[in-house]
Amino acid sequence: MLLLVLAMCFAVSDLFAADNYQLLRSSPAGYAPVVPGKNIQFPRDHLPHSAFKIEWWYLTANLTDDSGGEYGVHWTLFRQSMSPDEPGDSWSNNQIWMAHAAISTPEGHLYEERFARGGIGQAGVQVNPEGAFSGWLDNWSLVGHSSAPVPGVLTFTVQDKRIELNLNAVTPWVLQGENGFSQKSEKGQASYYYSQPHISVVGSLIDAGSEIKLDGKAWLDREWSSQPLASDQPGWDWLSVHLDDGQALMVYRLRQVNGKHWYSGTLVSANGVSESLSAVDMIFKPIQQASVKIGGSAARNLPLHWQLELPGRGKQWIIKAPRPDHWLNTTFPYWEGPVKVIDAESGLSVGDGYLELTGY
Amino acid sequence: MMFPETLRQLTWVLLTLLSHYRRHPGQSAFMAIGLLTGVALWSSVQLINDHAKASYGEADQLLGAESAYWIRNPDGGGIPVEEYISLRLQGFAQVYPVVESRVLTTSGEVIPIIAVDLLALPPAAYGSGGMANSPLAGDSWLPFIQPGYQSWYSAELAERLNILPGDEVVLSNGRKMPPALIQSRSQQGFRAFMDIGAAFSVLAEENLSYLAVTALDDTTRAKLESTLPPNLRLVKNRQVLDLTQLTESLHTHLAAMGLLSFAVGLFIVFNAVRFSLLSRQGTFNTLREMGASVQVIGAAIILETIGWSLIGTVGGLMSGYVLSGVLLPTVAGTLQSLYGAIVESDIELGLNQMLLAWLMTLLGLVLALAGPLWHRLRMNVIEGRSGSLMWQQDERARMVMMWSSLPLFALALACFYRIETVVDGFVVLTLILFAAALVLPVSIQFVNSMVLNRLSRRNWKLRWAASDAFAQLPQLRVALMALLLTLTANIGVTTLVNSFRDALSNWLEIRLSADIYIQRTVGNIDTLAVTDGSEWRIASHQRTGVSTRWRGRPAIVQGVDVSAPDIVDMQLPEQLSDASAPWASLSVDPQPILANEQVKHLGQVALGETVRLESAGQQYSYVIVGFFHDYGTPYYRFYLPSDVVKQRWQNVRSEGLALWVAPGMLEMAEQTLIEKGIDPGEWIRQADIKRVSLEIFDRTFQITAALNSLTLVVAGVALLAALLAVHQQRLPEYAHWYSLGVTFQEWFKLVAFPLLLMVMVTGLLAIPLGWVLSWMLVYKLNVVAFGWTMPLVWSWMPVMQLAMVTVMVVISALAIVALQVRRRLPVALKQLGGMGL
Repeated sequence: MLLLVLAMCFAVSDLFAADNYQLLRSSPAGYAPVVPGKNIQFPRDHLPHSAFKIEWWYLTANLTDDSGGEYGVHWTLFRQSMSPDEPGDSWSNNQIWMAHAAISTPEGHLYEERFARGGIGQAGVQVNPEGAFSGWLDNWSLVGHSSAPVPGVLTFTVQDKRIELNLNAVTPWVLQGENGFSQKSEKGQASYYYSQPHISVVGSLIDAGSEIKLDGKAWLDREWSSQPLASDQPGWDWLSVHLDDGQALMVYRLRQVNGKHWYSGTLVSANGVSESLSAVDMIFKPIQQASVKIGGSAARNLPLHWQLELPGRGKQWIIKAPRPDHWLNTTFPYWEGPVKVIDAESGLSVGDGYLELTGY
Repeated sequence: MMFPETLRQLTWVLLTLLSHYRRHPGQSAFMAIGLLTGVALWSSVQLINDHAKASYGEADQLLGAESAYWIRNPDGGGIPVEEYISLRLQGFAQVYPVVESRVLTTSGEVIPIIAVDLLALPPAAYGSGGMANSPLAGDSWLPFIQPGYQSWYSAELAERLNILPGDEVVLSNGRKMPPALIQSRSQQGFRAFMDIGAAFSVLAEENLSYLAVTALDDTTRAKLESTLPPNLRLVKNRQVLDLTQLTESLHTHLAAMGLLSFAVGLFIVFNAVRFSLLSRQGTFNTLREMGASVQVIGAAIILETIGWSLIGTVGGLMSGYVLSGVLLPTVAGTLQSLYGAIVESDIELGLNQMLLAWLMTLLGLVLALAGPLWHRLRMNVIEGRSGSLMWQQDERARMVMMWSSLPLFALALACFYRIETVVDGFVVLTLILFAAALVLPVSIQFVNSMVLNRLSRRNWKLRWAASDAFAQLPQLRVALMALLLTLTANIGVTTLVNSFRDALSNWLEIRLSADIYIQRTVGNIDTLAVTDGSEWRIASHQRTGVSTRWRGRPAIVQGVDVSAPDIVDMQLPEQLSDASAPWASLSVDPQPILANEQVKHLGQVALGETVRLESAGQQYSYVIVGFFHDYGTPYYRFYLPSDVVKQRWQNVRSEGLALWVAPGMLEMAEQTLIEKGIDPGEWIRQADIKRVSLEIFDRTFQITAALNSLTLVVAGVALLAALLAVHQQRLPEYAHWYSLGVTFQEWFKLVAFPLLLMVMVTGLLAIPLGWVLSWMLVYKLNVVAFGWTMPLVWSWMPVMQLAMVTVMVVISALAIVALQVRRRLPVALKQLGGMGL
């Protein structure tokens, strides 16, 4: 998942400097480079890579309750190295952690953002003494049943609501791009990127003592890099969907100032076999803007209505965000929320997913 | 058609009246100076007071983040990081860690330190501004939290400590502060701000001082309380209320000084008005003779008054704003060292303050300008032309003043016995001072007549000079009254400050009789307290304490060793007659207790009465057998034997250890401490702690000194203004003298002698009055305000210094006047010739 690569850069590296893009142009000198041909190994690569500047564990889920009410969950844990040196101990540790959690319910959208420094136990990712994967910040956590994050349990609270989700997956991890090497621009910016697209979820939302049972599907992304974005890329649009026929699909475009956007994607079969998609394999373009409140009385026009085509496969969908009010006015603000996948020919809903829009 | 005609007339009358100021720019200048200085001094104090009070409203915040509660370890030992992390892992993201301490530099300066983890501040703590208020906004925080770190100092603190950007201040424990940045966060105050990682390294500390907590709903609070480990307590941050209450007296003091300055400024205006009246006497008469009605002239006067009030308000507020910026660091320093109140340096000028300043100015002007003008205007035209009337009138005025002082004195006396609050005290003081000022002209007249009677008829020059005083007095009267007030205030306040300094320094001498004080945070303090036969150790005293509340205010109960030298030698200003050893009867019920004087004066409890203190949910009674001095603390404090405190309270904290060292063995003692694993910097020598205490004291009274000097300058200006006007007016007279053969030197003696005589009488009267003022301040106001008592220490030195300053001011004024007269005399002579006299 490309996702909040930039968010991490903005939010945690040289945060909110006057010229954010200048920071993105800065060289990743001293940090480990992302190069093709690396062999991604598990469980090793589920854990942090502090030699790289940034990294994240990113989960989105489309869920329903017993009466068919639709819910969305989005939870992320970011790691950032403040310097290329060894992490260091205790308070002198140079790792910073940031986490976002959001719940989309029929009643509305709730979210929270938290920060923590590494080294003092407040946040981190590790294999715990019981041999289980454990990623946490405060009381937000993703704990695996083994050294992998899935199968596992995701727990977090947003305001007075508590989410507890059991995550399960039987298909293999999908290596994005070229065996996990995911290029982001023609200039060589890239990341290591793998995902688990087929996560079945059973869990609950506990709100003021009452419990709402939820189930559905989730998508987990893992990505790390030292220079994730080129200087002429102001933002990106990312989409992951679960189709009713069991396939999963991820596409993104990195918007370039010259209009020649960078497209990439992956189509994953129900049994986990994946196929990379490039610009020539897809049409992914906005077809309608919607006004979205971004805090206070301010509003912004965002593309919440998209056309997605895989011409080679004769597939054409319309992607619609039924709940526009999913702007996260966090330290690095962005839009992220559930979407409906509609078959362009029949007009029927054929899947659910999550859309992320940044740089607007 | 009447209206435009009246308006036209009013315009002409107003222009005619105002033309006076164009022709006499000197008088305009003095009017403006009087108004501006008065309003500036008053408004600067007002601004500081308002600003400080507004800051207390933010005392439920910590460095801009909400802090509705604190989690503390009542035994004072701090909070292990693991306990804090455990709370965060249990979901209490409202909790964030704080380290607060003080360090001593190698140059003997104390720097308070505050440290937080910027990343841990809960978003709710940013307040209504949301992420825009996030400490992570901007890019300055990255180097702040990384090893290498940064120390942030406010510009005022950096200036005081002489710190330049990039400086790494060396501490007495041999460590260095991180590189300095002259920058500050909101509510940082006079503290160095740094990351917790940096603070731990600077302090060689591992524990957090306390945890701050944002506002909690009842359920979360209950949950948090039940989650806390037994050694920690959740306490409500009551600073907003406490600070407002505790600092009230200080602000009343400041306000009184501001008002005094305002009053002195008004005296200048009063003077200027008198002379502008005299100068415009002819104009008034001409206007009346030309048919301008009293109403029209009255309206013009009102407009003139409003005009002056606007000039005074705008100019005064602008200067006051600048002045408040200069004075604020001193007041803020005082508030922080005395009360722990953090006052920021960004003073804002609000609409309310502007309106208040304008109303004050207008009120002052109505008193100083409009009243006399109106009075003059109503005089009959013929009367107005009569010159000799002035003298008769002045004599009458002097008597009226003297008689009107009597009811003021009587009122002061009546009020004196009912002083309960600081405001009451200042009312009495004001009455005494103004009554005395009203007596001044008669006193001068009396002394002058006496001198005149004693001089033989042959000594005609001196007799002439003494008689000249009667010619000068009517015009100088108000200026001399202002001078009297200023000198009195100066003597009174200086005596108060000196008495306080003296009392404090004597008290410190006894209270801090030990040679070494080890900080309370030192872990193995218990082992140090044990006498181990070291030859350098004479005695030791390990104090303990608990924080509680009594009568709604913060109180400290201290456990003391009754046999320790500082307790044995403690001087009690008041104790029960049979309590020569108040600690003898430990097993008696109710338990004897010593209380600080604040308990007596602010808590209204008398010797022998009982107080009830809560410990472990139970109320215990204690009988007060003695009061002790406790200067500089706004809190109630009680002393009980350590055993009793340990027995009745849980979580008693160590308040540090005092060690008495055999003469000449201080270094050996310190060497032993190092061997026992105590870092230099974790103890402080007696001399250092005394010096630091007195430095804080001196800083506290800097604003007093500043306001004192400024007021004296204002009074000097008043005198100069009056003198210039007197002599300007008397120029024709001097020309006459000159034509009769009086030389310039003779003229100088003639006018200087009576002036010096009058100033001398004023100065002499200021001495007893100053004594009365200081007596009131020391024995009445100070007690009501702070609950401290001290002996009044009278010293002639400051009086002499003040006399010298006054003489210099008078001589300078005389010199300026002499130069003016010398320059203008030829013109005056020409006019004299022209008049055919």
